[in-house]
Amino acid sequence: MAATRSSEFGDLVQIKKQLISITAQCKERGLVHSVKWASELAFSLETLPLNEIPPPLELTEEDAQDLDALCLAKSYFDLKEYDRAAYFLRGCRSQKAYFLYMYSRYLSGEKKKDDETVDSLGPLEKGQVRNEALRELRVELSKKHSAGELDGFALYLYGVVLRKLDLLKEAVEIFVAATHALPLHWGSWLELCNLITNIEMLKSLSLPDCWVRDFFMAHMYTELQMIKEALQKYQSLMEAGFAKSTYIISQIAVAYHNIRDIDQALYLFNELREQDPFRIENMDTFSNLLYVRSMKPELSYLAHNLVEIDKYRVETCCVIGNYYSLRSQHEKAALYFQRALKLNPRCLGAWTLMGHEYMEMKNTSAAIQAYRHAIEVNKRDYRAWYGLGQTYEILKMPFYSLYYYRKAHQLRPNDSRMLVALGECYEKLSQQVEAKKCYWRAYSVGDVERMALLKLAKLHEQLNESDDAAQCYIIYIKDIFSCGEQLEHAEVSTALRYLGQYYFKNRLYDEASLCAQRCCDYNDAREEGKALLRQISAVREQGEPSSTDLSLPCVFNPLSNNTTPVRRVSPLDLSSITP
Amino acid sequence: MASVHESLYFNPMMTNGVVHANIFGIKDWVTPYKIAVLALLYEMSTTKPMALLDRRRLNKLILPLQQGADLTLEQFVKILEECCPRMVNAVKLKLLLMASGELQDMEHFFTILPNAFSDSEAFKTSVVGLFMRQMLLAYNKLSFSQVYKLYKSLQQYCNLGNQLEISALPTEDMELTSNEDPSADRIDKDELDTPSLHQSELRSDETQGPSSQKQAEYFLARQAYLLKNDENKAMSPAKLQDELNNILKFNPDFAEAHYLSYLNSMRVQDIFISTHSLLHYFDRLILSGGEGKSNGDEGYGRSLRYAVLNLATLHCRFGHYQQADLALQEAIRIAQEANDHVCLQHCLSWLYTLEQMKGSDSVVLTEDSVKIAAHFCLPYLASLGIQSLVQQGAKQGMPANKLLDALRGTDIMHWKQSLSELIEISLAQTTSIWRMYGKSTMARQQAQLLLNMNSLEPVNFSVQQNNTEAFAVALCHLSELHAEQGLYAVVTDIMKHLKQQFPPHTQHAKLWMLCDLKIQFEKAMNDGKYHLAEPHVTAISALNSTEGLYRKAQLLKALNQTSEASKILQQLQQQCEKTKNTEMIIRVMLASAELHWDSSGFASGLPLLLQALALSRQHNLQSLTSETVLHLAFTQLMLGIPEQALALVQDVLESVLAHGSLIDKGRALLLAARCQMTLAGTAAQEHRLTALEQAVHTLEEAAVYFSRLDCKERMRDIHYLQARLHHTLGNVSQRNKYAMLFRLLDQELPSSGMTVVNRL
Repeated sequence: MAATRSSEFGDLVQIKKQLISITAQCKERGLVHSVKWASELAFSLETLPLNEIPPPLELTEEDAQDLDALCLAKSYFDLKEYDRAAYFLRGCRSQKAYFLYMYSRYLSGEKKKDDETVDSLGPLEKGQVRNEALRELRVELSKKHSAGELDGFALYLYGVVLRKLDLLKEAVEIFVAATHALPLHWGSWLELCNLITNIEMLKSLSLPDCWVRDFFMAHMYTELQMIKEALQKYQSLMEAGFAKSTYIISQIAVAYHNIRDIDQALYLFNELREQDPFRIENMDTFSNLLYVRSMKPELSYLAHNLVEIDKYRVETCCVIGNYYSLRSQHEKAALYFQRALKLNPRCLGAWTLMGHEYMEMKNTSAAIQAYRHAIEVNKRDYRAWYGLGQTYEILKMPFYSLYYYRKAHQLRPNDSRMLVALGECYEKLSQQVEAKKCYWRAYSVGDVERMALLKLAKLHEQLNESDDAAQCYIIYIKDIFSCGEQLEHAEVSTALRYLGQYYFKNRLYDEASLCAQRCCDYNDAREEGKALLRQISAVREQGEPSSTDLSLPCVFNPLSNNTTPVRRVSPLDLSSITP
Repeated sequence: MASVHESLYFNPMMTNGVVHANIFGIKDWVTPYKIAVLALLYEMSTTKPMALLDRRRLNKLILPLQQGADLTLEQFVKILEECCPRMVNAVKLKLLLMASGELQDMEHFFTILPNAFSDSEAFKTSVVGLFMRQMLLAYNKLSFSQVYKLYKSLQQYCNLGNQLEISALPTEDMELTSNEDPSADRIDKDELDTPSLHQSELRSDETQGPSSQKQAEYFLARQAYLLKNDENKAMSPAKLQDELNNILKFNPDFAEAHYLSYLNSMRVQDIFISTHSLLHYFDRLILSGGEGKSNGDEGYGRSLRYAVLNLATLHCRFGHYQQADLALQEAIRIAQEANDHVCLQHCLSWLYTLEQMKGSDSVVLTEDSVKIAAHFCLPYLASLGIQSLVQQGAKQGMPANKLLDALRGTDIMHWKQSLSELIEISLAQTTSIWRMYGKSTMARQQAQLLLNMNSLEPVNFSVQQNNTEAFAVALCHLSELHAEQGLYAVVTDIMKHLKQQFPPHTQHAKLWMLCDLKIQFEKAMNDGKYHLAEPHVTAISALNSTEGLYRKAQLLKALNQTSEASKILQQLQQQCEKTKNTEMIIRVMLASAELHWDSSGFASGLPLLLQALALSRQHNLQSLTSETVLHLAFTQLMLGIPEQALALVQDVLESVLAHGSLIDKGRALLLAARCQMTLAGTAAQEHRLTALEQAVHTLEEAAVYFSRLDCKERMRDIHYLQARLHHTLGNVSQRNKYAMLFRLLDQELPSSGMTVVNRL
């Protein structure tokens, strides 16, 4: 894949030229975000020699006619006087002027809508404020569209108008057309990305074959939580020559964050900050990572740094919220998340994080409120669903929280945390069969917290299924040792204790004594370990034979480097585990 | 500029992420429509001399106008014209003057508005006075730009009305020319593009923009009431859901809409949406409850408990008993922790309901529930418990007087407390009990009582409460009772009514469906059209497996497939003994005995019949008792003791004739006649003639019943016997007549051999 692609990307000079040209075009039309994206990408490529720099686009007769009006209007536009800009552009014929004319009308409507929203805190209800210009724009644009007079930029605007009117199907068509007409305009791709809800839909679209498409696909995969594919895509893009692009680095970092590969993500974010120290975008994600790792000094440094750059940014507020949360100042944290929400009420992460803060403050009702809001903003926010589940679990309503956990699980079928939570609920409801299923599944999908097996084992222990319990403990111990690092909550001693007793009961004295000896390494199990050892020696003195009919490899043999997947086998028959 | 792109990073699917509490706490605000209503009120209070009738009509109009959704000017004028044509012009003039003038005119209107009411009959606290003051308050709070906006929309409102009147304006080439009045321009264009607009956008046009929280509340209350009391009058589920979604889109804080959405999706048995809405509602409720009294008894802790309880009821409704059980346990646990006895009591009553639904014995639980409910003064729950106990008692053969006493006792309390819902249930229950005991007259009377009763509920929204389960039950009983008497035309009418009242998708529709099927099955069996009965069996099994099995056995028996029938009956008996369905057990025993007759094992059927007799006596099931006695008598007749048989028949004949169905009456008389015939055969010569004549008489009587049912097979048997009797008596002409009738029927029907002898 990468090999075939690299031929497309071979001509980086060509790409650079294209980027420079599209930057100029977007700039003329006031599409600032696309300009930013294209220039960021262009910056990451080699600079061109003078003779290679593309000349500005040829002006047509119409362009020349409209030049003065366009100039005037653009200046008004830049000063956010949209109506004024539109007024001076009304008679213009050129494509550029037409786009700017429509775009100013659209933005004027949006601006008025935003102003109304502030005003409507009074009796006029929220949400009823609409951009009044949309319908007129739609009618005019659709006329032009059927006449085939729209260029790539105008198509993009038409799509935006349609989307704002909730005509999503039509909008998708138009955006696809826009990408065909002008594949280099990143805005159309981004809009398209927001409208695609699943992989089937993505596959059904016929997209232009251009190098931008790879960026789009990578972005799309991230959105659809297909992280592996996304990472692959980004990797091949980096190999093709975009290695220095901060955009790609940040995207990869976010992708790693999504699959909870914290180390990788942290590394990338640090690199990102080195390259682009005044960047604010994505820093909230970075702070989440720092928070998870409890890296207080780093988080504190980040927060201070961001405040210096711009304290009135959503990301900054989120970072500060995280910072306070890590310092257990939850009231202040909630305050900062609230500020983030004031800056942008649709900031999904802040709602969820605020919910977490309220949970810490034991204010369950406020937490529920925050989580519900998060869900209202985005139904697919699994953290909010999970948070709701947790809240109800804390309120001692495990059955009630089942629904929420199930929702979260639906959204993240391969996330062990939801499964463990589900299992715990089932356990509380004495639905052991379901609980076992959940724990086992959690282990199978790769348990993050390494708790599922332990819980499963304890469950088996409760149900007097000693073979199964022992089996689980064995795998658990192997897991813990193979991962190398010491986890705080690791209950190896519990497992060893149980295994010792288990082997003892099954008269496998060698194994039992081994387990008992290991027990002595742990403070809480030392006494029991010793007691067991005494018991074993007593029994041995009586001359009771250890049952030796089985091949007896020990639990501890494979501890060194056993990473092969384990099958469920009878714990007495361990030979098959070690290859 | 940023606003376009800012939105790029968020999901476009969401409608409105902004959620704020309504900080001013104002539920209503001024709209052009409200101004129109205010103008009407103003005119009403200023024009003193007015025809009484007009005034009365207008007064009746005020409330619906205030509470209803915003109307367009055209609709408003139309409604007004129907009431008082003279008023229309004044109101319209006022509005148009305001709209065509300037902003000042509207402000002037609001300043003079209170003057009109100061000395009129509209008190400050009256409906009109409150409305007016609310509007004034809302108006005064508007900022300048909002006032301006309101005025613009008023202009648009009036213009739109006018435009419609002139309507036939050629609007073909109205390109954007900016030298026209901007507002008029926009309207033209609106009209221009509506035909070409997409469906979804059209909808947003229809929904008349904002409806205030008050209007939404009124809408919800009305729909919820209708759902409870007369579902057919409520909006169709899909349409209601649309409305609700619309309300929620504009007003996500409106938690009650979620609850109605839950009720609505229950109507269509959509578990997914109903669970979602229910949980959403309670999540929302918890917030609103949590603000004032943080937690503890009264705060959101309470709504938590009821949230789980509601979840349990939801699972109950969908038949997820295990889920319901878990949820209920949870509700009980947290209610116990919070010492909330009322909630606990609710839980307990659901617990026994659940147990009942699962088919296990719950008498003890119910009794406890009643005791505790009485202790905590919860009359509703207490008598619900008593009713449940009565139902169980009736099934387990408690003495009838005790049951009816208990019901009467609770009835007194219901009437005292005006618990009309419970009164209805109690009446329906009495109907069922009487019916079970086989007292059809009493059952009929009780059913009629319920149907003719005026509900105690206040008649809201011009709907009387008549589509509850109680009504469905009573109507079903009535239809079955009529079917028993062969009045099929009446049955069809009742069924038609039921279908209308309880459309097939609704909750109680299964009741009448089963009832309808049973009646049709019985009819087909009586007519001997077994092939018609067969599809009914399948349909019945779908609704009620036990009943289906029984009917299947009956059908197989009628088709002479004895071994299959007996297999099914055995299976059925085991099943019923497990569920303690006494009625069915007795029926199965009778059917099994009949199977024994088919193989001429009359004696071997006896123990079954005696057992059935004991059971039915013990449970006071009179109709089944007489049925069993008839079976016994028939056995005795067949075993050659006609005297005993006749004595038995005569014992129960009275009650059969009083309460039995047509077919039972006919069968009883036929049996009596046969006993009489047999006795006459052995009697002395001098009594013989009278005895035979007596038999002839009885037969004729039986023939009347059978002919009313149009039961041809039975008629054939009777004609045969009649011919034989007349032959013995020497009435040749009579004999020939009956012989011919017999012959005719015999040709028509497929011969089924020895049925004459072997059937009751």
